[in-house]
Amino acid sequence: MRPSLFVLSLCSAVAALAAPAALATSIDLPPETALFKPSTLPGYELVQRNCMLCHSVHYIQSQPPQSPRAYWEATVKKMKKPFGAPFPESEMPAMVDYLVKTYGAERPAAAGVK
Amino acid sequence: LGGTALTALAAAPGRIALPFENGERELVAYPQKRPLILLTARPPQLETPFAIFDQGEITPNDAFFVRYHWSGIPTSIDLNEYRLNVGGNVSHPLALTLDELKQLGDPVEVVAVNQCSGNSRGLLTPRVNGGQLANGAMGNARWTGIPLKTVLEKAGIKAGSVQVSFNGLDTPPLGDGPDFVKALSVDQAMDGEVLLAWQINGADLPVLNGYPLRLVVPGHYGTYWVKHLSDITVLERPFEGFWMNPAYRVPDNASASVVPGTAPTKTVPISRFNVRSFITSVADGAQVAHGRPLEVRGIAFDGGYGITEVAFSADGGRNWQAARLGKDLGRYSFRRWSIAFTPPRKGAYELKVRAVNRIGQSQPMDPLWNPAGYMRNVVESTHIVAV
Ligand code: HEC
Repeated sequence: MRPSLFVLSLCSAVAALAAPAALATSIDLPPETALFKPSTLPGYELVQRNCMLCHSVHYIQSQPPQSPRAYWEATVKKMKKPFGAPFPESEMPAMVDYLVKTYGAERPAAAGVK
Repeated sequence: LGGTALTALAAAPGRIALPFENGERELVAYPQKRPLILLTARPPQLETPFAIFDQGEITPNDAFFVRYHWSGIPTSIDLNEYRLNVGGNVSHPLALTLDELKQLGDPVEVVAVNQCSGNSRGLLTPRVNGGQLANGAMGNARWTGIPLKTVLEKAGIKAGSVQVSFNGLDTPPLGDGPDFVKALSVDQAMDGEVLLAWQINGADLPVLNGYPLRLVVPGHYGTYWVKHLSDITVLERPFEGFWMNPAYRVPDNASASVVPGTAPTKTVPISRFNVRSFITSVADGAQVAHGRPLEVRGIAFDGGYGITEVAFSADGGRNWQAARLGKDLGRYSFRRWSIAFTPPRKGAYELKVRAVNRIGQSQPMDPLWNPAGYMRNVVESTHIVAV
């Protein structure tokens, strides 16, 4: 605890010297690099447009790989309501198909591994 | 899936493999943070590498985990503009600067664990969707602030009030989704233990941990510890926002669990921590020397009754021995424990640790399960090999 108290008192000394105290604290977040896995499935283009508006692709990539189609259907639905995603309902089936075949139980690699 | 062998393994510099399928993660340094396990970049969700818990009962500020729900997070906060608004069913609505808040009374301190409801979710069987965390979404710190009670008394809670809701500066980045707002009963809000804290371990809160002010609800899951706190509203009716219902609920029974894969008939808001304990000094998969004394160390905590006993087993739970408890930093804190163990022969050992709190609550030998993957507290196993 002592080192941080030292830093604190140092800061207030500096603040006391500077005439109008600048009270803004700011951070810069590191760049986001995660991308959706390329695919020839029609949903690939749609998820890139619809699923990075509110959060990074990590939310999708990190799910358990056995997640079944029912999970991806429910999840895409949940993003629309209640979370408020603006994509039209008509784009949901293609996105679900891409998601379950790329990150979920219907991955080609998953076939036979079960 | 051979998960256990992965625990001790850092996959490559800047990467780590958590002990479950699809658990490979990057280690990334965010502002005011050392490299932490990156669960999601936007919003930032960072897990503490487990080895840090072996270094002491206090989790350093730059290693403290980060959890957000929405990506509209404040990255620049000006204390000239910042206000804590207290309103709703009160006699004197307030709009306080941080300095005004600090002057309402003497600051108080509490050492308390903050733990994410979904800490350890990635370790559940069957797997549960949501944030795939290992055991690092927890931390213990000395929090400094003012009792919430002091502020509510100043505002004057009117008769007929039942709950108090808390909102922070983070928001949905677009659309009409539900803002992250949480609520406590008036009784709990007035219990004198809930704090409005501006310091962690003697320093300003890191931005990602809620600068300039966060709620500290000792013994309760992190979901209530609202960050960047800006609005406190006293309510005449229970708050029913998305993040209180249907989110963050557990089965309404004593163990908060159901048969794996089934749904509960009735749920209640998640509340206090159950009892947990961990070995921190030796990782799963480690090799040690046989015939040589080993100090096995770790941490234990509960929802605020205080840890009174920690037992250690080196044979998978057949025989148990009492461990020595470390310094008592208060009933909401991590309690360190240690025990000397000399592996008598070469070969495999299954180490286990189990804690008991002041009212006799302990940990299950077999894991409990619920559909949201909350409140894991099974007696964990650490497999080591003596050579
Ligand atoms: C309008 C905002 C918004 C959009 C657009 C959006 N999400 Fe989400 N998403 C959220 C929120 C909010 C959460 C939950 C955050 C939390 O609990 O921490 C979330 C969580 C998730 C999770 C985490 C796991 C879970 O079960 O909760 C997955 C997977 C996910 N989203 C996938 C998607 C996919 C796929 C799309 C596009 C089809 C999408 N999201 C678009 C807001 C959005």
